[in-house]
Amino acid sequence: MIEVEHLKKYYSVFRREPGLRNSLKALFRRQKTEVRAVDGLSFHIAEGKRVGFLGPNGAGKTTTLKMLSGLLYPSSGKVLVDGHLPHKRETDFLKKIILVMGQKQQLLWDLPPLETLELNRAIYEVQKPVFRKRLEALTELLDIGPQLRTPARQLSLGERMKCELAAGLIHSPKLLFLDEPTIGLDVSMQQTIREFIRSYNEKEGATLILTSHNMDDVEALCPRILVIDKGRLLFDGSVAELVAQVKPEKRIGLRFEDNKLPENLEAYGRVVSTGVGEATLQLNREEVSGVLGQLLARFAIKDLTVENPPLEEVMGELFSKHAFLRHEEGTEST
Amino acid sequence: MSGILRHLGVSMWRYLKLLGIQLKASLLLSMQYRADFFIDAVISMFWAVTAIAPLWVVYGERVGGQISGWSLGEAMLVVGCFIFLQAVLEGVIQPSLQTVVEHIRKGTLDFVLLKPADAQFLVSTARFQPWKASNFLASGVIFGVAFARLEVWPSLGNLAQGALLLVVATGLLYSLWIWVVSAAFVVVKVNNLTFLLSAILDVGRWPVGVFRGVLRWVFTFVIPTALMTTFPAQALLGVLSWAEFRLVIVCAVVFAIVSRWVWLRSIRYYTSASS
Repeated sequence: MIEVEHLKKYYSVFRREPGLRNSLKALFRRQKTEVRAVDGLSFHIAEGKRVGFLGPNGAGKTTTLKMLSGLLYPSSGKVLVDGHLPHKRETDFLKKIILVMGQKQQLLWDLPPLETLELNRAIYEVQKPVFRKRLEALTELLDIGPQLRTPARQLSLGERMKCELAAGLIHSPKLLFLDEPTIGLDVSMQQTIREFIRSYNEKEGATLILTSHNMDDVEALCPRILVIDKGRLLFDGSVAELVAQVKPEKRIGLRFEDNKLPENLEAYGRVVSTGVGEATLQLNREEVSGVLGQLLARFAIKDLTVENPPLEEVMGELFSKHAFLRHEEGTEST
Repeated sequence: MSGILRHLGVSMWRYLKLLGIQLKASLLLSMQYRADFFIDAVISMFWAVTAIAPLWVVYGERVGGQISGWSLGEAMLVVGCFIFLQAVLEGVIQPSLQTVVEHIRKGTLDFVLLKPADAQFLVSTARFQPWKASNFLASGVIFGVAFARLEVWPSLGNLAQGALLLVVATGLLYSLWIWVVSAAFVVVKVNNLTFLLSAILDVGRWPVGVFRGVLRWVFTFVIPTALMTTFPAQALLGVLSWAEFRLVIVCAVVFAIVSRWVWLRSIRYYTSASS
């Protein structure tokens, strides 16, 4: 479905030093610098897959998404999406995709979302009976019956996002580009949006690419993740593989009977956190079963969990390793 | 050949339907602001009077009642064309193209560019202000008063030619506005530029004959206010030559081609430079 080879996007930006003198100087002579937003990305994505783009701010996630959807011309490299060169923005290609951006909206602000849907129906040339059927299905799945008839400006952020999704999906796209779709939403709304996206992917067999800062989104939705930093691909695989590679430790969460925390827990592993009658230990994967046996034998334990470290921490470690390596590279080359 | 014609017919039908839906959305939007209609009606009548007032002052001073060969009634026809174009500008062109500037500023032009329809069409028809229709009424009133004053009524042929030239003038005005809006891709804040263009277009309320030398040339070929207001008025009076008629058509076609080219270049600039 998606083939990306050595994709690059460089921008020229003008830099200006602070201060009045420098500003005056910049009026006549500006300093140009090159920003490498995407710097040699290569990956393939098969049809019907759900893939997450992860990376810090300025990593190149959105730029990549914009090149895949045809909004940006690549500086070099190859992008092929379902047999199309996206930047040509051919009608056939545009009818297959949608881009949903959590921070921007396409709904007509002063009118009910139904008007935007009607406009999209005409633009995407969806036949009226098909439109009615899809609208009915989307209304039920997203639970937006009354909201579709309320002016968009009067809807809550979550309701608006649901209507945005309905407006984007009315032509049954095969390929969904979702840029931070749950940004600013409360936990239960995030859950609703996630479940809807997953069910759409499963029912329609649509390919889905998601960028998000919200690790829960990515963990819940994407069996495969691509980690990007400074425009380069740092990792391509599953969340479990990423954790095993970057931070292979496990975390044991313990809650003790009588809410009393025993002493010398350090003997079993590194104590990451403690609370009233509870503690979290971190230890190597291979030690987990042995230590669990010892803990259960020695202490009265009410509750016990074994988990991977949080994805945020894993990512943090990955990016700091990458930054360190880049620094090393830089020092060697100078 | 028939295949191409059929394809063209299907495309036109599709875009007409799209235009209908965009118009409906604008109407729905305007219904929410009904008070605007009455305010606009009063304001447009006020502007119509202020547009004619200078003519009275200038003609009142003149002995013989002619300026550069134009009588007061004839000059009022030019003002009628000017008010008509102002109505088109304020009701049809400006609201839509103002939304492009907003789109660029907010980054939502991305949604327009990803729609499987011509982006220039979508943004140019995004917003109408039907309440500004009162300006058309004002121009109609001025035409009526002017002809009553002249004590002649245009022939059907002159009326048709004048009406056609006003439609062509609308195209010219739209092309000029596309140039200004295209500047928004580079400078983002184009308000000053639109004010400047509005001020320049203001000279369209005078018959081009009052200008001499370079100015007359500039207002005919560079910022063609003469073609937009003086020539249609001359057509209504039945004094426009075929050469002048052809000049308006050729200029409108050239302006349309150049404005399309400028628009496409701007979109290309947007898609290669933004992030």
